[in-house]
Amino acid sequence: MARVELRNVRKVYPGGVVAVTDASLSVEDKEFVVLVGPSGCGKSTMLRMIAGLEEVSSGEVEIGDRVVNDVPPKDRDIAMVFQNYALYPHMTVFKNMAFGLMLRKVPKPEIKKRVGEAARILGIEALLDRKPKALSGGERQRVAVGRAIVRDPAVFLFDEPLSNLDAKLRVQMRAEISKLHNRLQTTMIYVTHDQVEAMTMGDRIVVMLDGEIQQVATPTDLYKKPVNKFVAGFIGNPPMNFCDGRLVGEDGSLHFHSATGGVDLKVTPAHYDALRNHIDEDIVFGIRPENLLENKTQVPVAGRSITANVEVVEPMGAETHLYLEVGGGTFVARITDDTLPAENAPHVLDAEMGSAHFFDARTEARIV
Amino acid sequence: MGSTLKIPAYTLLSLWLLAVVLPMIWVFANSLRSSKEIFENPFGAPWVLTGSPHAEEAGEPDPWDSAKANFANAWVTSHFGTFFLNSVLVTAVSLVCILAVSSMAAYALARLPFRGNRVLFLYFISGMMIPAQLILLPLFFQFTRMSDALSILARPFGAEVQLHDSLSGLIGIYIAFSLPFTILLLTGFFKSLPGTLREAGIIDGCSEFAVFRHIMLPLARPGLITAAIFNFLGLWNEYLFALVFVNSTENKTLPLGLASVSIQAQYKTDFGLLFAGLVIVIVPTLLVYIVLQRQLTSGITMGALKG
Repeated sequence: MARVELRNVRKVYPGGVVAVTDASLSVEDKEFVVLVGPSGCGKSTMLRMIAGLEEVSSGEVEIGDRVVNDVPPKDRDIAMVFQNYALYPHMTVFKNMAFGLMLRKVPKPEIKKRVGEAARILGIEALLDRKPKALSGGERQRVAVGRAIVRDPAVFLFDEPLSNLDAKLRVQMRAEISKLHNRLQTTMIYVTHDQVEAMTMGDRIVVMLDGEIQQVATPTDLYKKPVNKFVAGFIGNPPMNFCDGRLVGEDGSLHFHSATGGVDLKVTPAHYDALRNHIDEDIVFGIRPENLLENKTQVPVAGRSITANVEVVEPMGAETHLYLEVGGGTFVARITDDTLPAENAPHVLDAEMGSAHFFDARTEARIV
Repeated sequence: MGSTLKIPAYTLLSLWLLAVVLPMIWVFANSLRSSKEIFENPFGAPWVLTGSPHAEEAGEPDPWDSAKANFANAWVTSHFGTFFLNSVLVTAVSLVCILAVSSMAAYALARLPFRGNRVLFLYFISGMMIPAQLILLPLFFQFTRMSDALSILARPFGAEVQLHDSLSGLIGIYIAFSLPFTILLLTGFFKSLPGTLREAGIIDGCSEFAVFRHIMLPLARPGLITAAIFNFLGLWNEYLFALVFVNSTENKTLPLGLASVSIQAQYKTDFGLLFAGLVIVIVPTLLVYIVLQRQLTSGITMGALKG
């Protein structure tokens, strides 16, 4: 039970590679925070600094109101689940889980009780006498989690724990870890490169890029109010559509014209205020696939419709993804209609301009 | 492998097997025969098995008695008992020290990122490039000076340090000479173990030494056994250093003892005894190899676990 606080944390590896530039983050007690970002963004380094496996170059790491910069990992009251599980191959499952307690000189009956309890929670009671070699990937994953649970730490750290599992098992374990968090009510910090994992599991999500924290927000806020173009494109699947162009004032209203032509959309009056200073400037228009709606009549409405060439139709079951080409750019639309459009034919979609976003072309920050 | 390749391959292997096994059988057989019997037919089967053709003649000894006499004379009269114990002591102490020091050094070199790691590794490995013959003489004189210096230090305790003609001196040389190769071998083994195991151990509450002792060392067992076999073979048969640094009979090791008996045999021509001595040298090597070989293969299959 502890909060974790990072203050202006910086990590420079020998050789001058800056892994984390200047990160400040505060994780509340019992919160489930997910660090997400593309590979090399510094998310694992952040986690390892919290764990104490990497030294902090500058700044402070605080766990439970105690600065732990110089505290060795074993005294930080944390447990970590590794990507490759890092189970000790020469020990049985029981010993793997009990090892940390044995080192802490916990009495034997207590060890037995705690390992038994963790095994029961994770459904691995039958495996306690086996060696890790004799376990499947999912079972190893559970043992790795079990090893963390028995220690009853103040903070759980997960370093991409599900990325070695197959897709089906990953979805299952995802839900189980969420359940575990509800049950244990412990602070958890979870690193992943999978935005779906991040969205589904985290109370709050920290999006990172190139060693910098881009945005810290709840999944909904992250989705609806991304702070910049990177976050907007990283969160959501299929990702947000972007289109370079300009804002042009036309007979009293504001229009977005794509740079390559083919897109002419009328901006919602509600966005006028925010966009006023960007008229006749380069701007990036962004719209999520679900905000491109099917035009029932297939008759384009000026300022609202996009007529695009359908390149690929991907039926997903409950919904269909359309890959469309317009003016050299590609758009993805997510529709739920049963009648699918033909490929390689023009198709009319209406943009829900109230949900559209505009980004500064130079800074990539979201304007609205 | 194609069947066309199999025939020459197996032929070659069979020839190799014969080349190794036949002399060994010959040695074992002749160790059971008296010199007289050996001279009668050097390649014949031992009379203890076939029965002596001269059994009826008066005064002819029982073949079993001469066989036993070979071993008894070798063990007692020719001091093979002493040589054997010396060899066991020297080899065992050296092996334990070599494995203890090398495994710790190799773990540190393989896993701990400290300044000068690479240089230190190369320094150790460079030891393999020094031929023993080259440093024999300097080492001999160094031992003299070291003995004098250490004796001065030990005088208040009423002790005298003698590195020449002593088993402890020999053990010291053996350890020093075996370290480079053993460290090279074990560093490779420790490097092959996944690094996250160390991190998991550290988070579980291990000190650096506990990681080594409880996690890495058990996993490096195949490497340790390989190192043990190689070093045992080298040390058990070591002749050159023993010859230069050991003079007195009570400090001789088996290879030295065997050599001195074979030199005497030129005059005494007691070949039965010489073969018995050879058997005493060979048998432990065979035993160690057979026992550790099993562990070696079972150890390799254990391997480190990847996700």
